[in-house]
Amino acid sequence: MMMPSQPRPVFLNLFQIRLPVAGVMSIAHRIAGVLLFLAIPFAIALLSLALADEKGFFQTQALLQQPLTQMGLLLLLWALSHHFLAGIRYLLIDIHLGVQAPRYRHTAWAVLIAAPVLAVLLLWGLS
Amino acid sequence: MEFQIYRFNPDIDQEPYIQSFTVEVERGMMLRDVLLEIKRRDESFAFRHSCGEGVCGSDGVNVNGKNQLACITPVADYTDDPVVIRPLPGRPVIRDLVVDMSDFYHQYHAVDPWLKRKDPVPEQENLQTPEQRARLDGLWECILCGCCSTSCPSFWWNPQKFLGPQALLSSWRFLADSRDQAEDERLNDLDGPYKVFRCHTIMNCVDACPKHLNPTRAIGHIRNLMLKKSV
Amino acid sequence: MSRHLSGFRAWMWQRASAIYLAGFLVYTLGYLIVAPPLDHQALKSWLGGSGMWLATALFFLALLLHAWIGVRDVILDYIGPAGLRLGILAAVFLFLLVCGLWVLSILMGVL
Repeated sequence: MMMPSQPRPVFLNLFQIRLPVAGVMSIAHRIAGVLLFLAIPFAIALLSLALADEKGFFQTQALLQQPLTQMGLLLLLWALSHHFLAGIRYLLIDIHLGVQAPRYRHTAWAVLIAAPVLAVLLLWGLS
Repeated sequence: MEFQIYRFNPDIDQEPYIQSFTVEVERGMMLRDVLLEIKRRDESFAFRHSCGEGVCGSDGVNVNGKNQLACITPVADYTDDPVVIRPLPGRPVIRDLVVDMSDFYHQYHAVDPWLKRKDPVPEQENLQTPEQRARLDGLWECILCGCCSTSCPSFWWNPQKFLGPQALLSSWRFLADSRDQAEDERLNDLDGPYKVFRCHTIMNCVDACPKHLNPTRAIGHIRNLMLKKSV
Repeated sequence: MSRHLSGFRAWMWQRASAIYLAGFLVYTLGYLIVAPPLDHQALKSWLGGSGMWLATALFFLALLLHAWIGVRDVILDYIGPAGLRLGILAAVFLFLLVCGLWVLSILMGVL
């Protein structure tokens, strides 16, 4: 057999490979995690401002009510809700609850749908 | 029906390309029958196959984005044209639909997939109760087709360090076997951040397995055994 | 090669920290929705109370640990070259350490 002079091609076009629902939920869990990680210093800064003095507290409140901040907050609450709910699903799978077909697909759908709903509820409740 | 097939001949082609074939589809036809018809028309077309009944694991291919065994996948499952058939993802393509499975076999070998005994060989059998034997169900049936590991993103990114769903399922098959006497040794060999712990419970493997096995559950058993031994 | 946060230990600490984080978040977000502190003094006395202060400090500890293990997994998955990997891991570690020290200084001010 002739040795190939060029490296062999690999089929790995992610747009052509189907990602099942549990896979979609999984990559979203990872993306949400990275977003939350990047948000940590901003969260600490807000806490610092609110705890500084009376003026700081009200400045924090005012900032959180700005429309732009509200949008960012909704995005982060979505990331948090998804990461949290997906995390619960993973913990249950660890103890073999929902690891079998078809349940693991149902719970993946449930997380994908419940997360934005929970995010909206949290934003409304916290405002 | 129209079938679009991934083609690549290293002796002739610089890049892989898609070649379209129109094949007369009959009742009961499997995808392997389509591939055989294509080979009748084009002798140079290469793909692996053997038993024709889903037990040898040779003809794993990617169909419309999902890994399947060509011989047990009915053409009738596909109502829309075209059906796109590509090689298993992530593996170097030797020719057309034939891929290099070396990393996959290496990882299987790495878990020592044979019974390890310390006691002397018994007069007749190593006895096992029906309950003990039942623990092997869902594990012994693996046909090493590779559909699972080649659908796993963690195996795509680290095929030489991460064992992958097939090898991990095999590892559990021996850990769970009451006749095996090398539990500590096997668990020690699974240490580090790569062999087991690149698995993030994505579960593409469970979706892909044509024998309906569950590598995620097996990997969960391995992790729980590690937990049990650590406390 | 079984050092501190190898494979199994990391996985276990990620799960353990996750459980604590989940519990704390449910409690705290619930509290903030039902009975939010209305001024600076209320916030300070809520977080300054001995139980809540300790729980909050533990929350940030668990958060930084959970984040470290999680981001490290992402890096181990996608970054191949050893030098680049070490550099990015070190940067993330430093970043989380600084965040931790910052939170500590804020919490000390509430005691």
